[in-house]
Amino acid sequence: MRRVVITGIGVITPIGSGKDVFWKALLAGTSGVSTITSFDSAKYAAHLGGEVRDFDAGQYVKRQNPDGMGRASQMAIGAAGLALQDSGLDLESIPRRRRGVSMGTTSGEPVFVERYNDIKLASGEDAVPAEVFACYPCHVIPTHIAIEFDLGGPSIMIPTACAAGNYAIGYGYDLIRTGRADVMLCGGADAFSRIPYQGFARLGAIAPERCQPFDKNRKGMVPGEGSGMLLLESLDAALGRGAKIYAEILGYGVSCDAHHMTAAHPQGDGAVRAMKSAIKESGLSTDDIDYISAHGTGTPTNDRIESIAVHALFGERAPLVPMSSIKSMLGHTMGAASAIEAAACALALDSGWIPPTINHDEADPDCGLDIVPNTARLTNPKVVLNNSYAFGGNNAAMCLGRYEA
Amino acid sequence: MMSPRIVVTGVGVVSPLGIGIDAFAEGLYSGVTAITSSPRFLNSTTAEMGEFNPAPWLGNKGVRVLDRGTRLLTVAAQMALTATGLSQDPAGEGDAELGMVCGTMFGGVHSIASFDWTGLTEGPSYVSPLEFPNTVINAPAGQAAIKLKLRGVNSTVCGGLASGLVAINYAAEFLRFGRARWLMAGGMEEVCDEAALGFNKLGLSSPTCSVRPFSRDADGTAAGEGAALWMLETEESAEQRGAEPWLEICGFGQCNDAKTILGFDARATGAIAAIEQALEDAGTGVGEIACIIAGASGSPTGDAMEARALRHVFGDHLLKVPVSAPKAAFGEVMGASGAFCAVAAGLALQRQAAPPTAGFTSTDSGLLISSAAQAFSGEYALVNAFSCDGNNTALVIRLWKK
Repeated sequence: MRRVVITGIGVITPIGSGKDVFWKALLAGTSGVSTITSFDSAKYAAHLGGEVRDFDAGQYVKRQNPDGMGRASQMAIGAAGLALQDSGLDLESIPRRRRGVSMGTTSGEPVFVERYNDIKLASGEDAVPAEVFACYPCHVIPTHIAIEFDLGGPSIMIPTACAAGNYAIGYGYDLIRTGRADVMLCGGADAFSRIPYQGFARLGAIAPERCQPFDKNRKGMVPGEGSGMLLLESLDAALGRGAKIYAEILGYGVSCDAHHMTAAHPQGDGAVRAMKSAIKESGLSTDDIDYISAHGTGTPTNDRIESIAVHALFGERAPLVPMSSIKSMLGHTMGAASAIEAAACALALDSGWIPPTINHDEADPDCGLDIVPNTARLTNPKVVLNNSYAFGGNNAAMCLGRYEA
Repeated sequence: MMSPRIVVTGVGVVSPLGIGIDAFAEGLYSGVTAITSSPRFLNSTTAEMGEFNPAPWLGNKGVRVLDRGTRLLTVAAQMALTATGLSQDPAGEGDAELGMVCGTMFGGVHSIASFDWTGLTEGPSYVSPLEFPNTVINAPAGQAAIKLKLRGVNSTVCGGLASGLVAINYAAEFLRFGRARWLMAGGMEEVCDEAALGFNKLGLSSPTCSVRPFSRDADGTAAGEGAALWMLETEESAEQRGAEPWLEICGFGQCNDAKTILGFDARATGAIAAIEQALEDAGTGVGEIACIIAGASGSPTGDAMEARALRHVFGDHLLKVPVSAPKAAFGEVMGASGAFCAVAAGLALQRQAAPPTAGFTSTDSGLLISSAAQAFSGEYALVNAFSCDGNNTALVIRLWKK
């Protein structure tokens, strides 16, 4: 089995695009959450969102018409292009059938369902143009990436909702590990859409003012959008071309709560098993984990259960392991979230700094963890754990490590 | 280290051709087609389940919240569990080594569109919070896991019309890594307003209401629905519990044309590469392939591409290998079609006969196709699933032999 490393990072996020801008904003504790402008929020019981405001699709989508695809595809191409550029890899040097793409998403391209309904309401369904149907299914996101960068190898979409980024990066890691591919662009993307927004608002899950994961007075999550993409290759290939190595992927684990579609298992059963599998597959123990990137959405229940799961697995050491949620800054970017968080993990391993959980006022005794409140910290982590949980009870956790020659 | 061998020990099928593997096999080998002028959707050619009542398999409790696609998937899964003796006690906690990988293309698009429609026409405060969970694409697999107590790996994968084979390979890989002991893998798709209209708008449906893959007069396909799942495990796992494997997953190939999101690549380079990869992965030559289950669906461009790929890879040998295009019977089941074709290939190996291609008349494709079953003698079958977005996959399976 080959060792797999991250040598390129690309992000399009509510706090900025491109690895450097993003990382600087993250360490500074910048919030990308504000009153939404993607659509009129007047009729919803919520108004906050983490929107990407600086994205110009035409800047990134070159080989295809950006107007012929949804915003998730556009942002995914943007993030993939940034990751490729960051890696310094000449894709042409890799055989076409050995380069692929693995993506995750929660909603795919829901804008086409919205367009379908808008046209149906205004003029009847016969008026809906054909491209609305062609552009909707979520596999078009990796296909758009494959076309843009001429990737002739494996292509997959793993739409496992808010854990999808980890699933997708994990699958890319599998393909390189086993030698089925040499370069994989992997990550997640979701665009702001009224469908999930309406759902979260109806559940009363959206915070009224800010996202405060693990705070005693947290009031909810904040829907967001964006894309995070990583370029993965084998360690040998990276060393061979003298590439900068951000981090090594050590292993991952997935599990299913099989309990409830939207509520986590009360004892965090699936969350514990996903973390445990990831740590085991990586050949590590919980003692090796120096930092946890929390799923940490900011809803009262989710954060409490994630804390229960971390306590259950880490025991007495739990309060000693720093664990932060960057969703406090970005909002919840859905299928992109764990991919953007994986990017943050890689940057933490590379720089030694771990990002904070902002908007923290008062510790919640029900959580009882070191959530790196409000200020970034220099801790030089060697191994980090990236947690993600999703609707459908789909959980995925991944271990990443600092590469030392 | 030798990679563990992955075997098929059970199957669950829900199809308009037949519910349950025996009824499905009977339908498939009788040469009939489930494709008709749609009883539910205007001006549509489809292969539909009609009113589908899941109660005989799932009981009545907790079924109401499951949308149509989820019901199809969950029933197929229940069948696969029963067939393999792995049904979970509804009162128990469920097995953490048992899971599901579901291929789908549209997921629960009807649930998603309906949820949005209610908000649009009645207002966001009138949508049901109970319906929101059905709007995520992984909802069917997540719901099936809750209903059937599947606590292991749960994943939903989408590779367009190739999703079913992508799911089978994904599950096989996970089993090789030891991430689960039992994984049901395959696909699910439903025919709903959005899919039926989409097929018509995109000009995919046969205007003459007849789906004739590889035929000279082919004029389009038909949306189909259903769910098909294989139960996969390692040889060692099957041996330990005394289960007799049926088939072995031998090789997989996947190559992307990466040209357009809608249109087959006439040069067939990706399709050729995918088949060659699958053969190489399986360590088989074309001479060992005894039967080909084609993904051809009556789409003139897609069928021509597949025929070209097969001629290229098999050369003269192609005239000795029976080819079947079972979508003539169950339609283009989108994200599930790869799984349905894989199940058909398993039946072919078991019966040593390629299933009939329903309604087949004549071809100039150079393929050995027939409207009757074609007998053969051999162990390996090739299954193709080429998606209209250039995502090409191929799978090689073998009758189980220790």
